[in-house]
Amino acid sequence: MNTAVGRTYREGPLLEVKGLTISHGAIPITTSVDIVLKRGETIAIVGESGSGKSLTARAIAGILPPGMSATGAVTLDGIPLMRVSESELRKIRGFRVSMLMQDPFTMLNPLMLAGDHIDEMLRHRPEFASRAARAEEVKRRLAEVGIVDEDVARRLPFQLSGGMCQRVALAAALARDPELLIADEPSTALDVTTQAEIIKLLRRVQRERHMGLILITHNLRLAFSTCQRIYVLYAGSILELGDAAAVESQPFHPYTLGLLLSEPPVDLRVPRLPAIRGSVPRAGDVASSCAFADRCDWVKEICRTGKPPLAAREASRFTACIRQHEIQGELDALRTAAVLAAPPITRPHGETAGALVRVDLLAKTFAAKRRRPIYAVKSVSLHVMPGESVGLVGESGSGKTTLGRCLVGLETPTAGKILVNGIAAEDFGAMTKVDRALVRRTIQMVFQDPYSTLNPRHSVGRALGEALQACAGATSAATPERIASLLEEVGLSPAYAMRRPATLSGGERQRVAIARALAVKPAILVCDEPVSALDVSVQAQVLNLFRRLQVERELSYLFISHDLAVVRQITERIYVLYLGEIVEEGPTERVIENPHHPYTRRLVESIPRSALPRPPCPGDIRT
Amino acid sequence: MTAPAIGEARRRNQPLRVPIVILVAVLIITAVTICAVLGERIAPDSPFVQRLGVGDTLPSPAHIAGTDLLGRDVLSRVIYGARTALVGPVVVAAGAFAIATLLGLLSGYLGGLVDSVITRWVDFMLALPAPLVAIVVVGVMGGGYWTAVLVLVVLFIAPDTRIVRSAVLEQRPRPYIDAARSLGISKRRILFVHILPNIAPIILAYAVLDFGFALVNLAGLSFLGLGVEPGTPDWGRMLFENRNILFSNPVALLLPAGMIILTAVSMNLIGDWLLERFAK
Repeated sequence: MNTAVGRTYREGPLLEVKGLTISHGAIPITTSVDIVLKRGETIAIVGESGSGKSLTARAIAGILPPGMSATGAVTLDGIPLMRVSESELRKIRGFRVSMLMQDPFTMLNPLMLAGDHIDEMLRHRPEFASRAARAEEVKRRLAEVGIVDEDVARRLPFQLSGGMCQRVALAAALARDPELLIADEPSTALDVTTQAEIIKLLRRVQRERHMGLILITHNLRLAFSTCQRIYVLYAGSILELGDAAAVESQPFHPYTLGLLLSEPPVDLRVPRLPAIRGSVPRAGDVASSCAFADRCDWVKEICRTGKPPLAAREASRFTACIRQHEIQGELDALRTAAVLAAPPITRPHGETAGALVRVDLLAKTFAAKRRRPIYAVKSVSLHVMPGESVGLVGESGSGKTTLGRCLVGLETPTAGKILVNGIAAEDFGAMTKVDRALVRRTIQMVFQDPYSTLNPRHSVGRALGEALQACAGATSAATPERIASLLEEVGLSPAYAMRRPATLSGGERQRVAIARALAVKPAILVCDEPVSALDVSVQAQVLNLFRRLQVERELSYLFISHDLAVVRQITERIYVLYLGEIVEEGPTERVIENPHHPYTRRLVESIPRSALPRPPCPGDIRT
Repeated sequence: MTAPAIGEARRRNQPLRVPIVILVAVLIITAVTICAVLGERIAPDSPFVQRLGVGDTLPSPAHIAGTDLLGRDVLSRVIYGARTALVGPVVVAAGAFAIATLLGLLSGYLGGLVDSVITRWVDFMLALPAPLVAIVVVGVMGGGYWTAVLVLVVLFIAPDTRIVRSAVLEQRPRPYIDAARSLGISKRRILFVHILPNIAPIILAYAVLDFGFALVNLAGLSFLGLGVEPGTPDWGRMLFENRNILFSNPVALLLPAGMIILTAVSMNLIGDWLLERFAK
């Protein structure tokens, strides 16, 4: 298993990337990225979507998608990867550099048995010429990634869970004992608890093999808790680089600070998430200024006069902020202030009379032809009081989305009762027209995917206008003024009414979707993972919007999410849903800090935490 | 995570670039359309005047494409023939898709019994050997151009319904439809204001492809004597009439044949390109 056997090492770093510039035709994706990785070192490349982190990884392995080209130098152990031929590269990929991709299901060949993916990687070795020897080795390799069930090797990918597939893919990537593993969002597509297992596995394997690891992720918490050094990539250029602990406790770049602050903490509720304004620009638009200039609070003329180089500030600390020495004091102050906690919202608990929404023993079964029916929701009871924000937490398959859809009439439950404002609303088809309109004006939904939540052919103004007129009770017409005031309420200028969804960023689309739901002046919003598809910096903006609306409009929320940190920021009480049943209920603070049910405990424990202790803070109101 | 960003960037940054083949195809279709509209002005001669004494002649300065067996000017007949070559296929494509869109929307969005009935009917229609049915039905009804067009409309509805239905099924689970439903927007409005504009590019592209098929089918029926009345200038009919003078004036046969191929291929290329560019 030890890769050191039989290989002689050169001096110097394992991987050296110099001036890597990727472009798609004339459009630049990254500009002059430098990366150095020592043997056995773990580094993380963190960045939001569009930062070019995945393409950087692909460029290192020489597998850029068609139409993309890269210039610069990638040197692996003395071999100039970008200058050797494709046939030479094939002898390096898998043997010396392997990749692990985001989606475990598409990474495995759907028609190949799980074991064959590993078997295939072993065929070149003379000692594994016989089938039996290979089968034995496959078993050993699978055991290394924690699969002891021998049956797994003989199953097809679709018969395995996401976590299992990712383990098999990891075993296949490691089968030729590479010195460098590039893991591109290896846990993003998995459930929270599975995520933690895969990351733990990845770290163990890395340590045992003394292998170089490049972890590509948008999840800061994950990067800081897993890797030794951090590269912060933004709009195609590296803004900061340094040791994980140092960067986390004292970021040298306003962007890094912004990212750290806008990530909702799981262990406390902050008064307000400090969001970064705006959204990530394209690399081509910021080619001759600091990439972050437009969103930076400390921007000065000097920041726009040229692209600031990545310069050393301390031993092994680099930042691309040219004003770092001037503003470091302010950055530090903000970093410390961020651990202030807001007082938990306390509400008389246990009172259920006058609930806005009450669900009694709800069940939803999806009948399947010639297969077992799927019990998505089994006898769930819950209630939401007026003005209350309630979380519904669970992993995929827990039935949380189905439950939300039942509430707004998109699904009709198989059994059970739903009362919305006292009106029985379990079957929208059976309700009177007046009641149906009344319920729809009480409860509205915000959906997860910002990219398809708006009709791509309708302008923003048209979408909002339609929503304003949708309900039978709408008295006045959808005037431009009403559309403008709706847009203003979600923090967008009235000019957005003319825009098409395709020209909006994910965060802007989600704001419009919220405005659309607010058009009928509902009393409660069912929010189905409304921020999970957004970048961290934008997620904070939208969460702040939700919190502001709750106060201003006295809105109630049923906030469906798998992310406990997000739920902590926005809800007062949570229900934990597991396999269609509620396993725990209680005030958010209590459930997260002192979970009673083993499943809740597992959920809480699977959140990556940095080793960094939170500095004691005199202003901490919790104590 | 990166792929959509690139797709969008490409669409925003690159101006609409039309390949040369498509430009040529559009030029051909434009030329045919001009012939159809301005036939009288463009044609050098009347397509109907018979010169039995002249008979079939090879191309000459007086008759650029020669004359046919009855001494009629071939070029003029080809130019006049653009009318039946365009009008029928346009009616077939538009008519078939008008009905297919309605059926496809209902079947795809409503599901259940409506969907079952429509889909079974489509299955039944697709099981029929379409060309044979067209020949038999048009033959029994006594032939005629508009009869042939009508039969083709009916035959084209079934495959088109299937295309529309699958496009609707693709849109139906999208959250924007869910959002409209939870706002209480009527089914009719969801179908025609929300779904239809989103599947319109697909419908347009397939309608253009339908045009090509309809042109070839109508020409085939005319060739068999089941389309236009004798004497009418029509490309398919000309193939039939001039098949015996292949050696005395080959142009009289090859020119209409070439026009059928050129027009049909051009429309197919345009349809394929539209599908590739806008519907995916």
